[in-house]
Amino acid sequence: MIVIKGLHKSFGSNEILKGIDLHVKKSEVVVVIGPSGSGKSTLLRCVNYLEVPSSGTITINGQTINAKTNINQVRAEVGMVFQHFNLFPHMSVLDNITVAPINVRKKTREEAEHKAMELLVRVGLAEKAKSFPSQLSGGQQQRVAIARALAMEPMVMLFDEPTSALDPEMVNEVLDVMKDLAQSGMTMMCVTHEMGFARQVADRVLFVDHGKILEDSAPEEMFSNPQHERTKEFLAKIL
Amino acid sequence: MNSIVEFFESIVMYFEGLDVDFVLNSLSLLLLGALVTLKITLVAVSCGCLIGLFVGIAELSGYKCIRLPAKIYVDIIRGTPLLVQIFIIYFALPAILDMRIEPYVAAVVACSINSGAYVAEIFRAGIQSIDRGQFEAGRSLGLTWAQTMNKIVIPQAFRRTIPQLGNEFIAMLKDSSLVSVIGFEELTRKGQLIIAATYRSFEIWTAVAIIYLLMTLTISRFVAYLEKKYNSSGNSNK
Repeated sequence: MIVIKGLHKSFGSNEILKGIDLHVKKSEVVVVIGPSGSGKSTLLRCVNYLEVPSSGTITINGQTINAKTNINQVRAEVGMVFQHFNLFPHMSVLDNITVAPINVRKKTREEAEHKAMELLVRVGLAEKAKSFPSQLSGGQQQRVAIARALAMEPMVMLFDEPTSALDPEMVNEVLDVMKDLAQSGMTMMCVTHEMGFARQVADRVLFVDHGKILEDSAPEEMFSNPQHERTKEFLAKIL
Repeated sequence: MNSIVEFFESIVMYFEGLDVDFVLNSLSLLLLGALVTLKITLVAVSCGCLIGLFVGIAELSGYKCIRLPAKIYVDIIRGTPLLVQIFIIYFALPAILDMRIEPYVAAVVACSINSGAYVAEIFRAGIQSIDRGQFEAGRSLGLTWAQTMNKIVIPQAFRRTIPQLGNEFIAMLKDSSLVSVIGFEELTRKGQLIIAATYRSFEIWTAVAIIYLLMTLTISRFVAYLEKKYNSSGNSNK
């Protein structure tokens, strides 16, 4: 589903990604962990071209992304959930979810709203359709953000530290939605510090440090028997 | 004592010549002028908003060939007096192009171009104040650059810039008095004309000032109302 080859990314003279190779299969849930500044968010943002790679290729569902690709078409198939939700504050919850299906997928308002309501039921927020983002809690906002991404019926979902900006008591409501999504067969890439989630849901866990994937293994393997020195050190600090 | 008495006598004498006809005639002329002032301001700021929107976005462009002309336009207009801009459009341009421009056209064009530069800066700052995550969220959903600007960024930037746009409107309302120098009959010019015929300088200029004040006060109240409407209760507007 996602094939990344030789991905490099530099900001000026600062090289963040130093050659990433990765293959994410359909319906696979890949969790990316690593210390801050290791490049894990940048890796995720390169996948939907929010950051333009310095070199290397990214292929999503057979389509290689470069400057000539119709990037909007690719992004329509790749949902993204941000650390700070980034809901549109001037729109109701319903409009947040329908704006892209109506304008990108050219759905009618009726179709889009019908689908949006289904998704709101799925994330447990059907009664908030007419609310505005500022009237919701952080956890609720993030669940709306997930619904907004799902409304495009993407093939892949990217999560960039979706629970990092939440109060601890709201983390689980968001993780539950993500677990549910993983079980439904969605292909997912998640950058997160939630090791419990990684252990429970991930098919593979990647440990990224200094712009490289140091370790790529199943969660049991990663957490019980890390191979790399740096991974052991990192896990010892956070577990 | 004597000088005080003389002072009041002179004031009384000054107003003795006033009659109801004069007041009504002058007032209706001035109000017509005020309407023209309001009209030219409205047209100029509307055109200014249109120019400012494009120039403001151009100023943020990643391409130097788009950014540079926008910056030059803003610098030149903001760095020269409106009065001189009016003279250039009304006198200088027709001289080299060998044509005549109506005072109304010259006034509207000069004020619009002037307003455009100020509005461009207002919009540029407004757009920059919107969190980059908003833009990224729009793009990540597959919206094009233009759709993201149009549906996500600009509506939010516009709400945020209402107070500054209000200030610009008030400033332009007052500055439009400058077009009186090319004979365009707005409020200030009407005042001049009445005084030329009646020599009633004190009453007329006072009345002109009061009419300007009433207009600007009304507008600033209206802007405050808009600001409250769009920024309270969780942006609950469409």
